[in-house]
Amino acid sequence: MAAVTLTNVVKRFGNFEVVHGANIDIADGEFVVFVGPSGCGKSTLLRMVAGLEDISGGDIAIGGKVVNDVEPADRGIAMVFQSYALYPHMTVEQNLSFGLRMNGNPRADTERRVKRAAEILRIDELMQRRPKQLSGGQRQRVAIGRAIVREPQVFLFDEPLSNLDAELRVQMRVEISRLHKELGVTMIYVTHDQTEAMTLADRIVVLKAGNVEQIGAPLDLYDDPANRFVAGFIGSPKMNFLSAKVVDTSNSAAIIELVNHGGARLSKPLRDAFPAIGAEIVLGVRPEHFFEAGEGDCDIPIKADVAEHLGSVSYVYANAGPEELIVEREASRQRAGGDHFTVSIKAERSLLFDKSGARIR
Amino acid sequence: MRTQNATAYRFLTPYLLIFAVFWIWPIISSFLISFQATRTVPWRFAPAFNWGRLIGDPAFYNALKNTLLILVIQVPVMIALAIVMAVLLNSPLLKARGLYRFAFFAPVVVGEVAYSAVFRLMFSLDFGIVNKLLNSIGLPKVDWFSNVTPAMALIMIAVTWRWAGYNAIIILAGLQSIPEDVYEAATLDRVSKVKQFFHITLPLLKPVIVFCAVLSIIGTMQLFTEPFLITERGGPGGGTETLGLLLYRQGFRSLNFGYASAVAYTMAGLAIAITLVQLWLMREPK
Repeated sequence: MAAVTLTNVVKRFGNFEVVHGANIDIADGEFVVFVGPSGCGKSTLLRMVAGLEDISGGDIAIGGKVVNDVEPADRGIAMVFQSYALYPHMTVEQNLSFGLRMNGNPRADTERRVKRAAEILRIDELMQRRPKQLSGGQRQRVAIGRAIVREPQVFLFDEPLSNLDAELRVQMRVEISRLHKELGVTMIYVTHDQTEAMTLADRIVVLKAGNVEQIGAPLDLYDDPANRFVAGFIGSPKMNFLSAKVVDTSNSAAIIELVNHGGARLSKPLRDAFPAIGAEIVLGVRPEHFFEAGEGDCDIPIKADVAEHLGSVSYVYANAGPEELIVEREASRQRAGGDHFTVSIKAERSLLFDKSGARIR
Repeated sequence: MRTQNATAYRFLTPYLLIFAVFWIWPIISSFLISFQATRTVPWRFAPAFNWGRLIGDPAFYNALKNTLLILVIQVPVMIALAIVMAVLLNSPLLKARGLYRFAFFAPVVVGEVAYSAVFRLMFSLDFGIVNKLLNSIGLPKVDWFSNVTPAMALIMIAVTWRWAGYNAIIILAGLQSIPEDVYEAATLDRVSKVKQFFHITLPLLKPVIVFCAVLSIIGTMQLFTEPFLITERGGPGGGTETLGLLLYRQGFRSLNFGYASAVAYTMAGLAIAITLVQLWLMREPK
């Protein structure tokens, strides 16, 4: 087992910089998820940890040892690829043992490791099959098994569930979580799916355009995002953003006016910063933080366009002026497209962002 | 038949007519001709005449031996060479890849007569550049056209020059279809490049290699141009005569259509048999 430390890690392709000085400390045994939209540099970062991409600047250390110039095979890592990268012409057993056999590992030890991986992943009965005879979930298990037999210090997962259907994805997510508990090794997991990130991670690293936006425990990121991007990216359905204007400030709060909601006003307590009167700001409210009329600090009338009933909850998509709002309600057949109703916002269940997207606390 | 299908077949009729007249009928006709004595007028049905002659004909065995010899030596060498060329063409270190790809493919588009003439010049006893090069490194001149072994070697060199690049391009397409992450997984498993080639690349290329081998076997069984043009009609003294040449000599020089048809069916039968054996040997394990 080993800690992984990224210090000012930079990656350039030619003159184009895709990762701009990433600093990430991953503790021994921790499960860290790199999450972000396509092209944010999360896979590149993972491949740099694996040694499959050169580092243009900074240092990567595994187990306290800088590995910038260490061959991938000598870094003590194992990687699970998005496409599984199984050897198509080999049986499951050969796939699992290939690396060990090629390196002259003693046969008894190879057999022991393969057997253990097969038991952990419950793939004993598939050992003589070839990848094309396996389902997507089984292939994914074999790919993970190939990583397990290496007995690595660090597991790297590159979007391993993105080729699976929704049901299987949930199942494999649980399996990977179980595997982490069972093996107790450091795991770095890359995904663009914030649900995977929220459910799997001890800590999440949110990336955007090659920058680390925020690092923290899933619920910390959810409750206390550092900026508008993180607030919007973490959480499903995503946070609502309402345009607002500061109309007054006192020594502990700002009075804001929701410009697209008929001048509805809200007093938002602030701790650190006080925006100038007249400043354009954005109020963030999660779908589940809209309350019944009169229960919050500021009521706004909306008209439902579409209502989605998921069983346990319903989501009402409403157009309020130029802003589309998503409101979560308890499961109810009451709301339907075309309904007019009023929701209420509580100051303490909303977040403020300035025009650049930075959080105002 | 539904109207839709009938309309489709009406559009296909011109092609099907031509196909029937110029493909299907000759195939059937030549099979029937192989059972006839065609050097008498009128032709008469004599099932054992041509096929019986084939079994005892030393010229047929000579041509068969030469063809198989070329097949057994030239095809594996060419395929191996094509694999090496494809791997080199696929190297990320290679600059001007498009140019090399064109250069390797170019021999196929060069006219057969032109290339044969150039080979005759290059391998000429007194004026050829090959003998000059041999001399310059202290080796004796080789009379490529008067001795059987050098003449056979010359045929194999020429065929290899002409077709290796073509096969390399096909194999290159196969190489490029192997996903990069399979190699990355092997690199993480500390598998050397050489072992990756033998344990990953070659097995995954197998279907493409089999395809090239089958094409080459069929091509070699029909080999005609090189022994006809380069070693002058299978010379010296029939030393490079192939089945294709024997067929030509019997069918179009001696106008012995019956015997030529029997030779043609033997060539086709052998090509099919060798291909089936090849496919069986290279079959995917269950």
